[in-house]
Amino acid sequence: MSDNVYIPKLSKIFEIKEEVTGARAIKTFRTQFVENNGFSHKCGQCAMLSVFGKGESMISISSTPLVKDYLQFSILKTGRVTSALHEMQEGDVIGVRGPYGNNFPLEKWKGKNLIFIGGGIGLAPIWSVLQTALAKKADYGKLSLFYGSRTSQDIVYKEDLKELKNDITVHLSIDQKEKEWEEYVGFVPLNVLDKKPSPKNAVAITCGPPIMIKFVIQNLEALGFKDDQIYTTVENKMKCGIGKCGRCNIGMHYVCKDGPVYSWAELKKLPQEY
Amino acid sequence: MEKILTKKSFPNWIAKLATVQIYAPVVKDDLWSYEVVDAAGITTEYTNAIQSPKKIIFPQRELFLEFSHNDNGSPEIRELLPEDKESIIFGIRPCDAKGVSHMDKVFGGDFEDSYYWKRRNQVTLVGVGCNTPPSPNCFCTSVDGSPFSHEGLDVLLTDMGDNYYVQTFTKKGDKLVNMSKGLFAAPKPKEKADLESLHKDAETKLPRHLKDTKKIPPKLKGLFDSEIWDDESMSCIRCGICTYLCPTCHCFDISDEITSHSPLEGKRVRTWDNCQFPDFTMHSSGHNPRPDKASRLRQRIMHKFQYFVEIYNNYQCVGCGRCISKCPVGIDIIQVLEKVRDHV
Ligand SMILES: Cc1cc2nc3c(=O)[nH]c(=O)nc-3n(C[C@H](O)[C@H](O)[C@H](O)COP(=O)(O)OP(=O)(O)OC[C@H]3O[C@@H](n4cnc5c(N)ncnc54)[C@H](O)[C@@H]3O)c2cc1C
Ligand code: SF4
Ligand code: SF4
Ligand code: FES
Repeated sequence: MSDNVYIPKLSKIFEIKEEVTGARAIKTFRTQFVENNGFSHKCGQCAMLSVFGKGESMISISSTPLVKDYLQFSILKTGRVTSALHEMQEGDVIGVRGPYGNNFPLEKWKGKNLIFIGGGIGLAPIWSVLQTALAKKADYGKLSLFYGSRTSQDIVYKEDLKELKNDITVHLSIDQKEKEWEEYVGFVPLNVLDKKPSPKNAVAITCGPPIMIKFVIQNLEALGFKDDQIYTTVENKMKCGIGKCGRCNIGMHYVCKDGPVYSWAELKKLPQEY
Repeated sequence: MEKILTKKSFPNWIAKLATVQIYAPVVKDDLWSYEVVDAAGITTEYTNAIQSPKKIIFPQRELFLEFSHNDNGSPEIRELLPEDKESIIFGIRPCDAKGVSHMDKVFGGDFEDSYYWKRRNQVTLVGVGCNTPPSPNCFCTSVDGSPFSHEGLDVLLTDMGDNYYVQTFTKKGDKLVNMSKGLFAAPKPKEKADLESLHKDAETKLPRHLKDTKKIPPKLKGLFDSEIWDDESMSCIRCGICTYLCPTCHCFDISDEITSHSPLEGKRVRTWDNCQFPDFTMHSSGHNPRPDKASRLRQRIMHKFQYFVEIYNNYQCVGCGRCISKCPVGIDIIQVLEKVRDHV
């Protein structure tokens, strides 16, 4: 049974955290496999989560591979499967298969300043790489994070971010003015332009809605970042996760297998179809 | 190995083969179709089947697993692999067999597809070459194929008039001949020579041609934003026939079907899916990387003549002509490819 790639491993949700409520609700789930198996992931990889009777969804693993005893997923409620996940309780069992996709080349970035730039739920896919770099801080230069959401209500990992501020520079932003907001007001790409991170010996890692990514990349280029200093992740609709069902491709690349992590230098060369 | 089987002995051989399940072309609802047949139902006189035998190895709907909730409300799952059952596909056309060898690449590789391979490994492909092209839209010779290509085949039969010339290419193929050794004779030099000239002759009989196919993959690279896709897809009614009938198209969906809500019981199934449908790539946010007919035709053509070539160094089209014959609005892949090739 174990060599059948489509059979998920049963996994128990042992902790659920409500990050954001309302129309664009986000919850963070921590899961543990019911039976031990060799599952081990790299930063940036995803897993296919099953709610039996509803189907499967591809979700980024947001916990660092350094944590071995659970997997963390932060999930935006949007459709059939993600809504069913949002209805689950601690103790409920889901299916997990994977890990899928390539990963962020953290080894290659040793000694460099890392600038993380996330928007909305897009903090989840870069959270694992951020946490990993943080745990091995001595190996890297300066770490910093830009993170923006629509409103202050929509911020994920609120407590973690507060703590993170003790360790690294964090630039938060929200789209529109709010009463008690003291940080930047405006879209993430503008916050980046405002703070002017230096491209010198740096790598920028960005993830969020496609439109945000587009303008972040534009603005990074304006600040002097080269194509191979910018990394992002691509999301396309997925079903199999292993390059067979044929729907997630951009050109000859199956994002599920050859992605989701791309440098802008690589992504630029592919057909702009994502 | 190479052997001669007289047409008189043919039924005896088939009777021997019929110890396992045989799929062969029969007329069903006025169309040739690959179905389970008994020995008496087998013929080598048939035109192109409406569907390639792809459906036998990669069925339109197949079960992946069963799930249910146990007394504690926790899910239990049970893998549902295809049954242990040897079979023969008798009379597969060389183009369709080549299609199977393309599917082998997709379903193999880094992640082997257990369902596909369980079926694939239990099936023996016995081809019947095409002395005359079985469809008015055949163009196998334009896409590196031929009416007697043996790519993907275990056995190939050539109709020589009174005899069949039988060639085997694999152990599986040898086995079918060795089952009835006494029926087969060694070919004489004259028969070998006749075979060669018959095969050569058949290559000249193709009704359709696409010239300079080699020029197409590099040409496509520059045509992502071309007006060709709008122009050529205008009349498409996105029925999906072109892809469903194609012997090399492999896209699929995975979904859960519930048979009981409480307690929960159901099955996870794989079904064919289709790049010509809008929701194939549509995210739940509504964003769609391929939002129109033009981008979807471009995907079909580019997948077959650029991306697949880049990955596997083969066209993902075997020239069977089905998508041309059956498109309700007459979109003709040869004509689209000619426009690509000749684009300046
Ligand atoms: C590489 C990758 C990483 C992702 N990481 C996260 C994450 O960390 N957190 C998060 O909240 N979301 C993530 N997503 C998006 C998430 O997969 C979709 O929101 C989710 O599949 C929608 O499923 P649904 O059943 O709720 O929606 P429905 O609209 O009911 O979708 C039906 C089916 O379509 C497919 N589908 C629809 N939209 C998408 C999409 N955008 N991407 C992939 N498949 C889709 C799924 O198979 C889904 O089951 C990621 C997507 C990809 C491709
Ligand atoms: S068969 Fe013709 S009409 Fe139907 S989807 Fe294909 S191209 Fe469009
Ligand atoms: S693309 Fe058309 S002609 Fe080519 S193999 Fe598929 S159905 Fe046959
Ligand atoms: S999700 Fe099936 S090919 Fe990528």
